[in-house]
Amino acid sequence: MRYIFLSVAVFFISIFCTNAQLERKLENENQPVDLIFHAPRHINLLTVEPLERKTMHFAIMHTFGTLDGGIENLFGLDNGANIQFSFEFGLSDKLSIGASRSSRDKFYNVYGRYLLLEQTQNNNVPLSISLAGGGGVISNPYSFLSATERPDFVDRLAYFGQVMFARKFSNKVSLQVSPMMAYFVNPRQIYQIEGTQNLYLALGFSGKYKVTDRSSLTLQYIPNLNSDLKSNFGIGWDVEAGGHVFQMYFVTSQALNEQYLLAGGNGVPGEEFRLGFNVNRIFALGQKKRKAVE
Amino acid sequence: MSRLIFLFTFFICFQGFGQEYLTTKGQVTFLSKAPLNEFEGKSSSLKGLVNLETNLLDFFVDLNTLKTGIGLRDSHMRENYLETDKFPFAEFTGKLVQLPTLVMANKTPVKAVGKFKIHGIERDIEVLGFLTLIQNGKVELDTSFEILLSDYQIPLPKLVFYELAQEQKVTINAILTQKK
Repeated sequence: MRYIFLSVAVFFISIFCTNAQLERKLENENQPVDLIFHAPRHINLLTVEPLERKTMHFAIMHTFGTLDGGIENLFGLDNGANIQFSFEFGLSDKLSIGASRSSRDKFYNVYGRYLLLEQTQNNNVPLSISLAGGGGVISNPYSFLSATERPDFVDRLAYFGQVMFARKFSNKVSLQVSPMMAYFVNPRQIYQIEGTQNLYLALGFSGKYKVTDRSSLTLQYIPNLNSDLKSNFGIGWDVEAGGHVFQMYFVTSQALNEQYLLAGGNGVPGEEFRLGFNVNRIFALGQKKRKAVE
Repeated sequence: MSRLIFLFTFFICFQGFGQEYLTTKGQVTFLSKAPLNEFEGKSSSLKGLVNLETNLLDFFVDLNTLKTGIGLRDSHMRENYLETDKFPFAEFTGKLVQLPTLVMANKTPVKAVGKFKIHGIERDIEVLGFLTLIQNGKVELDTSFEILLSDYQIPLPKLVFYELAQEQKVTINAILTQKK
């Protein structure tokens, strides 16, 4: 009798060992989530979205005059744009360095970004954390000022630092909170900033709500923590088109880099909105040449 | 008597092992040949089983391991097209139409029928390929077949610059080792 039981057991084991399919197992249990945001930029703020090693992110960002000029000024487009070009290179899959130049005060900025933690699909790591920081110089010559009145080099410097905490809550909703600081060595009145203090603290909120596979509603809110300056608010639309991400938005400030975003001052949302437009492109560098098609 | 039955089932079970070949590092390539652009997604993590005793073929690949050479394209592929967070695997389970007799170093044509599953959709397919006994206990598998993305409800992008082809040529090369 015992053998009958045993043979039944062995029979089932035999089905298991000979007819069994392979167990479906993920190669990497801690597979990171894809694309918390569409691009390393989200309206005006940096995101946790890392660059792959040997890729370059190129962004052209514009913000125009206020919309309240109406059709006569083509909703601010006539009033001159602040334009920022930026290049960012991935040194590794986590670390990247970049440089940018905005036309407002002819500001050159160099910065780095490091991905500290990456959110995983299985939620073992519930959020991505990234650090960014950099420094810039106002290169406007101020030649209308006498030599003694012109700011010297040190007075033209401004720095920023921020930590970004981001989470993709679902395929549709992603949120990022970034405690930010900016420091102007000498915040002179000739600079196009509204603030008069050296140090600015703020919280940057970035939100994404995916509407279709390749486009999202975007939000930006940057309340100032230690100044009376109005908070920055932006609302926009991201569209992914192959290797490009186009970002169109309304925002309360013309500032495009972190230092000016915190010190630059803002208009009233709704009344003094400005149109903004970014083009993001990621290039792969050092790719092996494609083999000739056989 | 019962002792005999036991020995008999025991024998069946372990005989099954003798003809079971496995791989964990097979190569699989998805080739997309669109008019404007040609690119391929490659993975070297194909897991496979060929059992010539019970006539069972079982293969799967974690689509997260598929690389096209451009990280952003990989992310878009995973998130927008393959939806790997919901459907991480491409799978084939089937059998050979006729069990081959493998001769050393001889490429033997085989035909397999079974179910191919990707993006959560399963379809019956027929695949032609070759099995070669390259040394004792090692069998090489070569095969390629085409799939239509629309058959698996994978939408084609309308607005992309690296155009994706409707037909994907899947090529598999794997060396399977006999299970001992």
